[in-house]
Amino acid sequence: MINKKLATYILNLSLETGADFAEIYEEETIDKNVRVVNGLVENAASSISYGVGLRLLNGLKSVYGYTNDSSKKGLEKLALSLRGAFSEERKIPEIKELTIEKVKNFYNKCTSLLTISTDDIVSLLKNVNKEILSYDNRIVKSTASFSISKTTSHIFNSNSKIFNNTKEYGRLGLLSIASQNGKMEMRFDGPGSQSGWEFFTKTLDLNNLIKEHSSKLILMLEAKECPSGKFPVVIGNGWGGVIFHEACGHQLEASAVGKNMSVFSGMLNKQIANTCVTAYDDGTIPNEWGSNLIDDEGHPTQKNLLIENGILKGYLIDDFTGRRMNMKGNGACRRESYKYEPTSRMSNTYIAPGKYTPEEIIANTKLGIYAKSFNGGSVDPTTGDFNFGCSEAYIIKDGKITTPVRGATLVGNAKDILKHIDMVGNDLALGQGMCGAASGSIPVDVGQPTIRVDEISVGGRGGDIHEY
Amino acid sequence: MNINKYFSLAKENGIDEIEIKSQQRETFSVSLFRGEIENYTFSSTSKLTSRGIFNGKMGFSQTEKDDSSTLLFLINQIKESASNNELDDKAIIFKGSEKYKKRNFYNKELDKLTPEDKIALLHKIDEKIKSLDNRICDINIAFEDSKVNYILANSHGLNLKEHDNSFYIVASCVAKDGDEVKTAYLPFVGTDLKEFDLDSFANKLVTNALSLLHGTNIKNGTYKMVFSKKVCATLINNLLSHASSEAVQKNTSLFKDKLNTQVISDKLTISEEPLKEKLFYSYFDDEGVAKYNKVIIDKGVLKTYFYNLETALKDGVSSTANGRTSEGSKSYITYDNIVIKNGRTTFDGLLKKVNKGIYISEVTGLHAGLDANSGDFSLQSEGYAIENGKITHALGLFTISGNLFTLFNNVLAVGNDSELLVNSFKTPSIAFKGIKYQAS
Repeated sequence: MINKKLATYILNLSLETGADFAEIYEEETIDKNVRVVNGLVENAASSISYGVGLRLLNGLKSVYGYTNDSSKKGLEKLALSLRGAFSEERKIPEIKELTIEKVKNFYNKCTSLLTISTDDIVSLLKNVNKEILSYDNRIVKSTASFSISKTTSHIFNSNSKIFNNTKEYGRLGLLSIASQNGKMEMRFDGPGSQSGWEFFTKTLDLNNLIKEHSSKLILMLEAKECPSGKFPVVIGNGWGGVIFHEACGHQLEASAVGKNMSVFSGMLNKQIANTCVTAYDDGTIPNEWGSNLIDDEGHPTQKNLLIENGILKGYLIDDFTGRRMNMKGNGACRRESYKYEPTSRMSNTYIAPGKYTPEEIIANTKLGIYAKSFNGGSVDPTTGDFNFGCSEAYIIKDGKITTPVRGATLVGNAKDILKHIDMVGNDLALGQGMCGAASGSIPVDVGQPTIRVDEISVGGRGGDIHEY
Repeated sequence: MNINKYFSLAKENGIDEIEIKSQQRETFSVSLFRGEIENYTFSSTSKLTSRGIFNGKMGFSQTEKDDSSTLLFLINQIKESASNNELDDKAIIFKGSEKYKKRNFYNKELDKLTPEDKIALLHKIDEKIKSLDNRICDINIAFEDSKVNYILANSHGLNLKEHDNSFYIVASCVAKDGDEVKTAYLPFVGTDLKEFDLDSFANKLVTNALSLLHGTNIKNGTYKMVFSKKVCATLINNLLSHASSEAVQKNTSLFKDKLNTQVISDKLTISEEPLKEKLFYSYFDDEGVAKYNKVIIDKGVLKTYFYNLETALKDGVSSTANGRTSEGSKSYITYDNIVIKNGRTTFDGLLKKVNKGIYISEVTGLHAGLDANSGDFSLQSEGYAIENGKITHALGLFTISGNLFTLFNNVLAVGNDSELLVNSFKTPSIAFKGIKYQAS
């Protein structure tokens, strides 16, 4: 770890040419990955990443640099190249002494994954792998992987503060391919947590996960192509929240809002969604995949209300982009690693539960699509146009889930879809994913109860929906 | 680090054969948003990746930390990783190819540019773009250059070096007209700034953005379509994943048992040419095998799969130098520098052949909308209507759907307008028939 004396020196050196804020971020991450493919251990390797990032701010300008060389010479070189971007008088008085800020730990205690032997992990993966492969002989390839990532970080800033933080993530990944008559179908499931080994051996219902994974893979292999057209679409709980995350969550990040690049810029306290929609971003759920004790600027994470009864109530803000909006950071500043300048990002983002049971929502839908799960999507942040591919979908006919369909893509616009959500279920669930944006790929939860969108465009290769 | 010391320490620890890659990278990037500097980033990083054979099995390790504990960390990780490895694949550390076509394209002129020069260039581009049309706003331009020092050495005495630099410029802008908003972006990559034509770059970006405004959809149905070079490159990249020997050996390729048979239209010839262009030049793969130019698909007939050392041994052939080990794990298959051979038809000729149809300029959402295994796709796209053999107007939001294998068998004509793109692929525009169009 960089010592206090060196950190103080580098901060002072950085501030000499007019920066109004300086911050050193030091990080060491140990990654361990174990992968079993078709019954055999293919890989079990660990790696270390280590480096230091230096961020200097001056008004609405920021400069950033990073290096693996944390010696005095290495950091000096970095500070000198960066501060060259400014040429003003020193604004911040000399920093004398850095003090360590207490970080409140609200996580439940758990067993560190790095203390678990590779043999124990292999044995869990082999069991899972075997169950999946024996489910159906059309499953031709199955990979069970376990990844551990433990990060220890230290933030030193020109407010004379030091923050120390440790995070440990574990994720089980199931990726299988089924094949029949030249047709192939792939499915991925990836539950993750910061709850240690207990999550995977006690909390998680592994048998159910294996059954869902295998049976839905085969179901989709046999499924007909999805029809195309404009239909009501019921979106499943948990991972279905990826649409809200991509289409709306990113638009609520200060990095987009502050520069007027978001469709929701200047919309605070205005109706942006149907009144049945209330949504949060909550980084404080103990041990959850997208949670943090503090954000990457050192602020404690918060439960941020985003939308209440359809009215926009808040954004996700980091201190730097908050300067453009005259708003303070609300614990939402995140980054993948020292290689990225941090910015406003989501944590665990979800639509709050509503009043309907999922069965009522289906029963109220005469003809449409039930999009239960997705394999990803993308959104143009300026226009709000998005597209999402369904990994599991069905036709709804006369209020009942009927034929499974493959290859469905939902295409729409962020601003429109929020207004078209007309029913919200009571079955909130969260799903774990990795979110990629300007400050890298970070663990986030998406989530929602079952919801219905009264009309959205569905792209598919099948024919007329009435023929299903 | 001292490589010889590392190799002898490995031997003392029972690692019979060992390989190490050292990569040092320096980058500088700066971007302008609405004429103001937005990002300004320096970096200097290094990474050590190693693999070695312990008790007959391959083990892997990687670190960014270079201190007194590094050598032993790498060695211990290789041992642990090898001990857990249950694959019966033959572990190979390569002894070396007969001949390497090493060429040095390092451009010292690029190193002479100061941050101020790069910022001045961005302002010039910004002003040019702004001056072209008053409906253009929110211009974002970034410049990034990088230099890389790369060494691949192993205990058989192989010691290969690459030292290169390049720069990357990317611009995006918004075209606004009334309530309508469209975005366009354009990348450029090069090794010599003299090759960057500022005026034509700015013109192309603005033309792209404006042309997307006022899109109106046409009737849903199945159409003939011309795909832009970029879209062709994206789709061919996905199609070629089936030519990976790894996918073939693991039964996930639809090109299995298809060597020397017609797999796509006879109008298409596809090769991999890593030694052809100055940009993206690369003369050895991650396993140390010398790269060479080769035809993959000749007039629609599949001539070879892509191999690394391990998959080549299984099939009793030689590696095609397509091994990649960058993640510090088992070697897998990749390919770059893919070239689709030019046809004879001009771009206008392609439009004429289609007569009534669609020009697809961009597809998005591939990770969700394209099933890499089956080739089925349903992709959100940007494009224009073709009427009477000419592009007439932009289309609103729409998706196209079909199957990659069917698509590449339904080629109407191949353009003669091939261009080297930022993903290292060199492709022309291509006209296809029988693709489904669905307006949103």
